[in-house]
Amino acid sequence: MTRSSGWPGAVGVAARGWGWRYATRRAWAVRGVDLDVAPGERVLLLGSSGSGKSTLLAGLAGLLDPGEGADDGTGEEEGSLHLDGVPARVARRRAVAGGAARTGLLLQDPLAQTVLARCGDDVAFGLENHAVPTVEIWPRVEAAMRGVAFPYPTAHPTDQLSGGERQRLALAGVIALRPGLLLLDEPSAMLDEPGTRMLREQVAAVLAATGATCVLVEHRLAGWIDLVDRVVVLDRTGGIAADGPPVTVFAAHGAALAAGGVWVPGHEPGRGAGPPRTPPATAPPGDGEMLLQARGLTATRRARARAGLPPVVAGIDVTVAAGRALCVLGDNGTGKSTLALTLAGLERPVAGEVVAGPRLAAGLRSPSPHRWRPRELVSRIGTVFQDPEHQIVATTVAAEIAVGPRRAGVPAADVEARVEELLGRMRLEHVARANPFTLSGGEQRRLSVAAVLAARPRVLVLDEPTFGQDARTWDALVALLRELIAAGHGVVAVTHDAPLAGVLGDAVLRLGSEHPDRGREEPRVGAA
Amino acid sequence: MTGALDRGVDAAAYAARANPVAKLAVGLSIAVAMVLSLDPVTAGTALLLEVVALPWCGLSPVALARRSWVALVAALAAGVGTALFGSGDPQAAAAVTARILAVTLPGVVLLATTDPTDLADALAQVLRLPHRFVLAALAATRLLGVLSDEWAVLGLARRARGLGGGGPLGRLRDHLGRILALLVVAVRRATVLATAMEARGFGAATRRTWARPSRLHPSDAVVAGYGLLVAVAATAAGVAAGTWHLVLT
Amino acid sequence: MSTTVPGRRAGAPRLSAVHLAALAAGVLAGLLVWRIGLPDVHVWDTTLTALTVPTALTVGAGAGVVVIAVTSHRAWRVVDMTVAAVLAVAGGLFLWGMNAAWLPLTTPIGKVYPPLPALLNGVWILPGVLTGLIVRKPGAALFGETVAGAVEALTGGLWGFTSLYYGIVEGLGVELVFALLLYRRYGPVAAMAAGAGGGVALSVLDLTFYFTDYPAGQKLAYVLLSVLSCIVIAGLGGWALARALAATGALAPLSSGRAAQRV
Repeated sequence: MTRSSGWPGAVGVAARGWGWRYATRRAWAVRGVDLDVAPGERVLLLGSSGSGKSTLLAGLAGLLDPGEGADDGTGEEEGSLHLDGVPARVARRRAVAGGAARTGLLLQDPLAQTVLARCGDDVAFGLENHAVPTVEIWPRVEAAMRGVAFPYPTAHPTDQLSGGERQRLALAGVIALRPGLLLLDEPSAMLDEPGTRMLREQVAAVLAATGATCVLVEHRLAGWIDLVDRVVVLDRTGGIAADGPPVTVFAAHGAALAAGGVWVPGHEPGRGAGPPRTPPATAPPGDGEMLLQARGLTATRRARARAGLPPVVAGIDVTVAAGRALCVLGDNGTGKSTLALTLAGLERPVAGEVVAGPRLAAGLRSPSPHRWRPRELVSRIGTVFQDPEHQIVATTVAAEIAVGPRRAGVPAADVEARVEELLGRMRLEHVARANPFTLSGGEQRRLSVAAVLAARPRVLVLDEPTFGQDARTWDALVALLRELIAAGHGVVAVTHDAPLAGVLGDAVLRLGSEHPDRGREEPRVGAA
Repeated sequence: MTGALDRGVDAAAYAARANPVAKLAVGLSIAVAMVLSLDPVTAGTALLLEVVALPWCGLSPVALARRSWVALVAALAAGVGTALFGSGDPQAAAAVTARILAVTLPGVVLLATTDPTDLADALAQVLRLPHRFVLAALAATRLLGVLSDEWAVLGLARRARGLGGGGPLGRLRDHLGRILALLVVAVRRATVLATAMEARGFGAATRRTWARPSRLHPSDAVVAGYGLLVAVAATAAGVAAGTWHLVLT
Repeated sequence: MSTTVPGRRAGAPRLSAVHLAALAAGVLAGLLVWRIGLPDVHVWDTTLTALTVPTALTVGAGAGVVVIAVTSHRAWRVVDMTVAAVLAVAGGLFLWGMNAAWLPLTTPIGKVYPPLPALLNGVWILPGVLTGLIVRKPGAALFGETVAGAVEALTGGLWGFTSLYYGIVEGLGVELVFALLLYRRYGPVAAMAAGAGGGVALSVLDLTFYFTDYPAGQKLAYVLLSVLSCIVIAGLGGWALARALAATGALAPLSSGRAAQRV
């Protein structure tokens, strides 16, 4: 792998015992970091969640400010963090005054990084902030957009971009500033496979063309591994756990890293979870019974319908059966979420129908879930949304779990018992009285599943359950889902995470116009 | 707030092309005139002069009606209300209706014909408002488009959790919870937006350059002048007709 | 450099020579107004002379407030601006909704007793109080009310750009209270007082421009009901909303989150 290391702008990093503590936290986010990165070097930063990777990147970007004292800063610093001999914060201020950025930071949320409404304006935003003369701005904007092979002109509205396109636009905004240090904080965490691939190609091209130093944080390492020549592992309790070429580090620490939740190549949870589930010897109760069926289903989101756009999902026939898993695969934008929401009775079908089987619809006036009252729905079909924060309705974790069964009319003593059981099962006892919004990502995901299970629905619909999760949570989720399937629940998992489908087994439905099996259910036969 | 220049709007029209500050000046002048006196001649003259200028604003009457339906409905309701339940005086009713219409029109035209980014540019460059606040507000308006999607998802999520339905008190509580959840999402996104903006150098220095220079042209003076003319002419008409009556006295 | 106890040291106004001079000038101007008196012009069925003392007090107090705001050493950070902007724009949309519901709500209530709809006036002050409580920087409340008023005007509100003017004055009313508290108090009482400040501003505006022909008794009732509504809806309601938000941890990067315990 050769690259032009002679680019004068590449920045070197020197950290000596650097640590940071946020103002509202007792524990140090990161501590005791001693690190030297040579100009032009490419480093992959790893560590289990909570080990301070994002904090280190924010520090390198000069965004962490201890303030003048008392009220104003974001936290407390110890040690030093230097870019080419200048403290990171000072480097940032000088860069803005001098018109050339030392660092460029790419974050993980595509939506949050789009600042302005037109693509060209968004890229020009950074240049304006750095007081680049007006005459130079637009040529640099256009060069940057060409540099990432951005497919749209400068006047294109940013509202209509996909996640992957937004990340590329953000990358263009970063490289327009010609930074010497490129910081990437899980840039592909929220992208699907094609989006990730394209982003990776562009990052590789940028690094090859400019020879800038790069510090990358990522979880799914496939492909990114080829970009870096050094791996640094942050220890959760402080300091550096490992530092060296990828091969060496993974050989020595691969298992420990995987146990800590990192997706280590060769230690992927999918492989370790055993063979795909085969139907058990004794069939669970009601096995194979039809719980939900969609016939000729055409569905769309209300916002799309109002905008006059054609439905994304059309003519689907699918069955959700007890003791079976249905995985809906497809890239972003193929209508997976829409299908899930319609099956779950949350969106009304545009054409066709969703019908609940006799067991599920017993005692209700209508067999169509979208006509059911919320109380009736919650104990029959449980939906876990992609973003756990959307479903938080209570102020403590225990109350959150209790909401579902209470609404379904379960007596209070039983509600208590269910809450206790689920808190234990999901390892949430230690946060039982905390506000759900303050939980970590993995804890919130476990909470959202617990809250849905509390009402004991027969059907479980999960929208991207493994989205952005580390390897340990992935494992735990898969184990839980297998248990539920074995107990006779019907599970629908919507995902772009192919290994998940491989592990859960049973039927796979692929959405997406290019795929030849579009719209047809394919039962899995034999081993993966 | 986004989608300012969608169907029904001709962005090349004379007034639509003007600097946003000029369009703002129109609205501000007319508002002053409308608030100083409530009488049918003043309000009616202002409304007439605005409607006459409409072809130059690039908005078809249908597009205008679609964007100002709240004010239209309210104006009619207020007029009818005054005529039937208030003073019963048809002149007062006409004055109320005309005033509401006259005062809301410039704002609607401004929003319809102006891209929010251009408005922010004008406010910061021409009016010299503090640019950090103006740009933060602009970025926030973009966030709100995202928030309306979130609002819809929040509703679905709550239905899935069993909320909704039940008595009006329960509904109110669920609604308040939904509003709170939306505020949490909004504040969260705002804090991440702040990091993203800071990562691009925002807020670190007081000096900045502008990629889209916003300048004033003679036609902007014409547009702003017309607004002033409407305000003055309406007041003069009211005074001449003897119906103008300063509300302060 | 540790910052465990917020608000104790910083935030107290630091007066440089320039600021002291400005403060002195303001107080002097107030004294001058009082000594010289206002001209004998007829306005409001009265003469301006009678307004001498209140005007003098306003000028002196206004100068003091501006000096306090400017010297309170609380600089706005970018996160303060984006959060304030989002809250203000969201507030503006909320007010647009109130615009749509306003006449249907107030006309029947107003028939019972004309000033009674003033009980709903708290909603107009809520954006300013909420922004002030959450962002806790000088000018936050003013920014919140002004931007909310601007959004209301742009989205076709009933009162057009008068909403913007109202927003500025109401924002000043709320801001005044926070300034007098030196930007250090944000509890329920402070929130209610801030609501009252906005309520007074709103009542004065409404009585001057819209309800001029009420008899004196109804005018007084209007003021009292408005202020009460603002205290409850904007003050207490805003405080409760801010507290609920703080409990979710969403405010951690802001000054208001700084006041929370370390977890």
